[in-house]
Order: sequence, then C-alpha cells, then structure tokens
Amino acid sequence: MTATPQALVTATQAGWRRWLRRHGWTFGVWLLLLVLLAYYATLIPRFGAFQVASIVNNGTPFVFLAIGQAIIVIAGGIDLGVGGMLVLASVTAARFMEGQAFVTTLVIAVAILAAAAVINAGVGWIINTSKVPDIVITLGSLYVFQGLALYMLPNPGGGTSKGFRWLFTGSDTGIGTNPWPAVVMITLVVVAVALWMAKTRSGLSLYAAGSNKTAAYLSGIKATRVKILSYAVGGAFAALAGLANTAIAGRGNATTVGGNLTLNSVAAVVLGGVALTGGIGSAIAVVPAGFILFFLSPILTAMGVDPSNAQVIQGFLIVVVMSVTGVLEWRRRRRS
Amino acid sequence: MNEASETLLSAQGISKRYGPVVALRTADLTVRSGEIHALLGANGAGKSTLVKILSAVIPADGGSISVNGEPAALRLPMDAVGAGIATVFQDPALIPDLSIAQNLRISGLTRAQVHPWLERMNLGHIDYEIQVSDVPLAVLRLLDLARALARDPHLLMLDEITAALTTDQADYVFDIMREWKDRGRSVLFISHRLGEVLQLCDWATILRNGIHVADFDLSGVDEGELVTAMLGEELVKKAEEEIVAVGTAEEEHAADLGPVVLEARDIHLRDKVNGVSFQLHRGEILGLTALEGQGQAELFQVLSGDHRPSSGELLVKGERLRARSPFDAIKQGVVLVPADRQQALLPQRSVRENLTTPLYNRIGRWFTLAGDEAERVERAVDRLGIDVRAGSQAQRLSGGNQQKVTIGRWLASGFDTLLCFDPTRGIDIQTKAQIYDLLREVAAAGASVLLYTSELPEIPLVCDRVLVLYGGRIVHERDAKTATEEALLSAAHGLVEAPA
Repeated sequence: MTATPQALVTATQAGWRRWLRRHGWTFGVWLLLLVLLAYYATLIPRFGAFQVASIVNNGTPFVFLAIGQAIIVIAGGIDLGVGGMLVLASVTAARFMEGQAFVTTLVIAVAILAAAAVINAGVGWIINTSKVPDIVITLGSLYVFQGLALYMLPNPGGGTSKGFRWLFTGSDTGIGTNPWPAVVMITLVVVAVALWMAKTRSGLSLYAAGSNKTAAYLSGIKATRVKILSYAVGGAFAALAGLANTAIAGRGNATTVGGNLTLNSVAAVVLGGVALTGGIGSAIAVVPAGFILFFLSPILTAMGVDPSNAQVIQGFLIVVVMSVTGVLEWRRRRRS
Repeated sequence: MNEASETLLSAQGISKRYGPVVALRTADLTVRSGEIHALLGANGAGKSTLVKILSAVIPADGGSISVNGEPAALRLPMDAVGAGIATVFQDPALIPDLSIAQNLRISGLTRAQVHPWLERMNLGHIDYEIQVSDVPLAVLRLLDLARALARDPHLLMLDEITAALTTDQADYVFDIMREWKDRGRSVLFISHRLGEVLQLCDWATILRNGIHVADFDLSGVDEGELVTAMLGEELVKKAEEEIVAVGTAEEEHAADLGPVVLEARDIHLRDKVNGVSFQLHRGEILGLTALEGQGQAELFQVLSGDHRPSSGELLVKGERLRARSPFDAIKQGVVLVPADRQQALLPQRSVRENLTTPLYNRIGRWFTLAGDEAERVERAVDRLGIDVRAGSQAQRLSGGNQQKVTIGRWLASGFDTLLCFDPTRGIDIQTKAQIYDLLREVAAAGASVLLYTSELPEIPLVCDRVLVLYGGRIVHERDAKTATEEALLSAAHGLVEAPA
C-alpha cells in the first residue's frame, strides 16, 4: 500500500483516532481529575456535598487565573503579572465593596474587570512597542501590581456584599454545601472561551499569532493587535480570579504573594496541554488541570504527608506528568 | 502582445535594503491587463523581495507603486488584497497548528469560495478538518493558490509555486494561469524553470542584483538570451564552462567503481519505504528521483540516522550502522544536506559559526575551538564562493548562499558519504552549476554522494547511476548518461517495471 499525496489529505484516519489525537490530552486531564476525586473520597472519612463545594469554590480563582494565562500563552506570550493582577483586583474589590448593596458590588466588579483588561492591554502594548520579551516586561508588571495592591489596601480587610459572596460560593458566608453557582459560572465562561477560540476570527488569530507569526501576517492578521487582545482578556480573567478570591474570603489581603499564584497558573497551563511555545492547546483542558493542582495539597494532607514534603511531591508530579507528555509526543512522531 | 492594453500595475524605482545588504536598488515592473508576466533573475536578484513589497508584506525604502493608474499606498497585506493583488508566497502561509477550515476562517474565506478551485486541482476530496501540519508541501502550495484565487484578484502573483509540485499538479496551475489571462486579468509568475516560462508567459522582466536590466517580449526569445540577461555575459560563460567541465569529469570518472561504502539492505519503514536495497560506491554520485511522496523523505531519514527503519539494515564500509540519532551516522561519515535549509542553519548566527557547528562534536574539542577551525572555515568559504557580506547572520543570505552554507558545513568537518536531498530546488542556474561542480569534485576526491533531486534534467549532468523510487520501492535503475527525461518520468510514474 502506498500513500499518495491525495490519500494523505482525505479522511484515512478513523474518526475516533483523530479525535483522540486532537483531544486525548484534554480527555486525559479530566479523567485524572475524576480519578483523584474518587481517590480522595476513599481517603477521608466523610466525603459529601461540603467537600465537593469546598474544592469547587476554592479552586475557582485558580481556574480563572489559569484560563487567562492559557489565552496569553496560546497567543505566543506569557504573563508573569497575572498573580499581581489577581491580588490587585481582589483588594480593590474588598476596599470599594465593603458595606455596599449587591447591585453596587456588581457594578464595581464590572468596572474592575474592564479596568484590568485596559491595564493589561497596556502591558501588551508596551511589549509590542518596546520589543522587550514578554517575560521581562511582565516580571515588572507583577511587582507593580503587587505594590499597587499594598497601596490600595495596606492592611488586610475590607469586605463585600452577601449576594456577591453567594455568586461565587453558593453561600452568604462563603462556607457551605452548594457548588452550583461556581460550576455554572465556570461552565459558562469555559464554553464562551472555547467557542471564541475555535470559531471566531479573533479567537483563531490567537493560535495563528502563537503558531507562526509570518504565516499569520501573510494571512492578514495583525500580530500586534492579537497580542494586545490576548493580554487584555488574560488580565480580565486574572481580575475575575481576584473577585472570586474576595468573595470566598470576604475580605482582601494585599500580602498574598502574587508570584506564587503566577507560577501555579503557568503549571496549570502546562499540565493542561498548552505549549509554552504558543499555538497549541485549549482552555477546556486547563480547567481540570487547575483543579488538579489546587486539589493536590488536600489529597497529600489527607494521605498524611507532611506539608513541607507535600511541595516536593507536587513538584515531582508536575515533572513526571510532563515527561509523560514528552514521551507520548515522541512516540507519536516516531509512528507517524 | 497588444501594446495598447492598459497598465494594471506599475512599480518604479523600488529599493529595499536589509542592513548592509541591498536587496533591491532600482526595480521597475510594469504588468498589463491580460498578460502572464514572468519575473526572472538569479538567486538574490531581488525577485522575492519585490513580490513581498508588492503584497505589502514588507515596506519599500523608496520608489512608487500604482495600480490601475492610481498611486497605491500598500501598508498591510490586506491593502494589497483590497487593490486586487493576491499572492502565493514561496513559503506556505498557513498556520500549521490549525485545521484547513480554521485557516480559511482566519483569512475570512468560506469553503464555498475555495472549494471550486480545489476541485479544479483534483483536491475536491480534501478533508477540511485535517491539521495543516499533516498536509504534504505540494498540497499546501495548492491550498495557498486556492486561497489566493478565492479573492478573485486582478493580479495573481506566484512565487516559485511549481518548485514543489509534481508535473500533473503543475499542469493544473498552468491551466488556471491561462484562464486568468483569457479573462483579461494578469499573472506575475516567478520560476527558475525557463521551459515553463517560455511556454506560458507573454512578457518577462529581468532583475539582476536588485536592478531592472531588461524587459523581453517572450514570443521571439530563446532560453539562452534570457539566461544571458539574468546572469550577465561573463558569468554565463563561466557557468557554461563549469557545466562542460562537470560533463568531462564524468567521462573520465564513470569507468571504474570503487568499493561499496554505503549499502542498504531491504530497508522498510512502516508503509512508506517498502524494501529498498542499493549499494553506493566510493567516488560515485548516485542519483535518486521520484514524484512527490514516494518514500524518498523517509528513506533519507533512515539513511541519515534520524529514524530507525522498521526492518532491514544499513552497512557503512561493511559494518552495520545502528544509528540512534544523526550523531551516530555523522560519526561514521554519513552526513545529510536537507531539503529545508531552515533545518540545517542557525539563522541568527554568523556564516562562520554555521560552518563550524559540525566541528563542535570532535572529541577533544569540547573546551576549545581555537585549532584549525578558522582555516577550515576559510577554505570552505573560498571554495564555495559564499557571499559573506551579510555574514553576521545566516538568515540574511539569499537562498542560494544559504544552500552553499549547508553544504559547506560538511566540507569544513569532513565526511565520506554526502546525502543531498534536493539541494538545488529553487536555486538559480549559476549556483546550481557551482553545486554540481562541487559534488563532482567531492566525488573525485573519493567521497560518495547520494543525490535525490526532483529536477530530472540534472541527472545525466551530475550522476553516474540513477535509481527511481515509486511507492517506496526502487523500480528502475540505469546508467545516468542514458537516462532521458522521458524514461525517468515514466519510471517515476510507476509505468516501467524494474529491469531484471
């Protein structure tokens, strides 16, 4: 049997095999999350609605941050400043939402999202204009955002409305057994992002710019505009994560270390199958990856692992999982 | 040619420089409606630069462009499309990580706009959901063409589109070009294959070293006149002498075959290579040719140590070579000049550094490169006549000079067997002659060369023997001197049985 060029471009691959090749990673990460959940359920004496709600709710900021990072990385950038943006948005919300009615807090939330998008678009613009690598400029923006957060709320405090807390946690106090508001919000956001990135010109442009700048340019895409767009959306997601953080804690704390959050978001992006070189990946796989990373420390605690060892194990797990990707990719290339 | 037909595009005095290298000095080009216009020139003459300026991919430093008599401000690629100019560039402009359908969506095109053109090119059955990185190069070129045609341009610019195409695929392109002309629209055609140019084009503009040298009405011109205009009188003489010298060298040489240095025994690689066996002798240039996608790329991957065969064995000087990576093959003196120069070059590094790269692995040289490298590199540069004005970054060199660097790397380090994969694709006649000459010289000095080429007329000029690959098997072997283009073509289409 010989493969002619014609045969290569028609549907010679069985449908499910191609599906697996394209979406296998996404599928695998979701599966891993379910396996971990099942394992966790056997580890602890009582596993019920409270535990599920706690994982979903507390993981939410993490997942939003990872989605924002994923969008930026897919478009060929990387934003170390997202953690700082999360903290800044969180303390800003806590400062201005304290004692306000639900509707007012919603208005403030929208304003914060918009402001974050504009500010991070500015970061993207600086990267474009200065031609300095993303990693350098955003290292700067991380410190700037973190510093501004301290200025905004020097001492931990502030607050928000009950309705706003319910919106992210399913309870007026931030603690409860209702994961549904968070589940619905994440689902809506992920579906919207997935459709945007797979079906629209601006969304596909992110992949184009991250994959092959020359080809993107020749296809009539303005790579500079795409970069700014990705930073704007990524910044808005970081702010959304910050709002979730305020809703969960009921207050703001500017001493939260944004840098750690950034590194976690990068780890989630990588675990979610997004190539750090850009152009490859999807937001859908980043969601379970974010949950898995968030979820590792309670599991290790439940297993009775010393918290100081837990970090080591967490680090090894990332290396092992990513090595598996590398091996799978290598085997695929050998075979094809 | 109807002189009264209106001018569609006029570019006057276009100039462009990249750092110290002047790509275009004063390029003039006038394309009329309803003509197929050839843009000719040696490598580095500035053809691709001019095309990029006309498609607004790069800005010109000077000069003026007008379309339909109106001055045109072309700042972004979409401006050129808006002005009725659509281009198929030398390199495919599709995003590899997206599917074909997603690529179309990015360009703002629908399947309905593109599909009729793909059908005309016998690609009507194409699967739009397939990822572009899985599509063969030839099909990518045709997809790019279909994308350009879907814009229904007044001027279609084709930069070296036929270089990667098989004969039948090229015929589809020629048909479309003729149709464009019949509709009163225009095509700007760039090709190194002068046969195609004379057959198709009405008019030619010739560039040399970034300067417009002549316009030809192609109805009464032969290849020789065009080549002379492209290269200038002196260089033509030199190139001819070199090719004649190559021919003579071959006469003297072909008589005796040395010992076998590389032997392939029943090599299989999945369903791509299906039992290839051959022997390559010392001092021999063995030609290999095939249509697109007959397993030649995979065979070269196996030979160069990039890929292990599914079965079969390779012997280097009688000893079995089990290469886990090109490093092992190179240690045994088997080196590769790949088709894609980007795979061989460090684009941001200097010419000298590129030439030195293979020397990095010499034992005892891990801590110092201060030995004889400088001298070896100097010799290779002289030998190849590489233009080192842009030497600080290899990516600034013209395609032909880059190709010389990819061969020069191995000259500097030394080798026994040179595997060349289509080294002269898209390269001008003068550089071609230099590369042939170099291969003959290397063989005369006792090395062996396996040369895959898609350009059949090259074979009797350079090779001693020739193999034809079809469907992953060698279907034909003959003395290269008697290998006519017709015989090779029919064998390449699988029409001739292997001689017993």
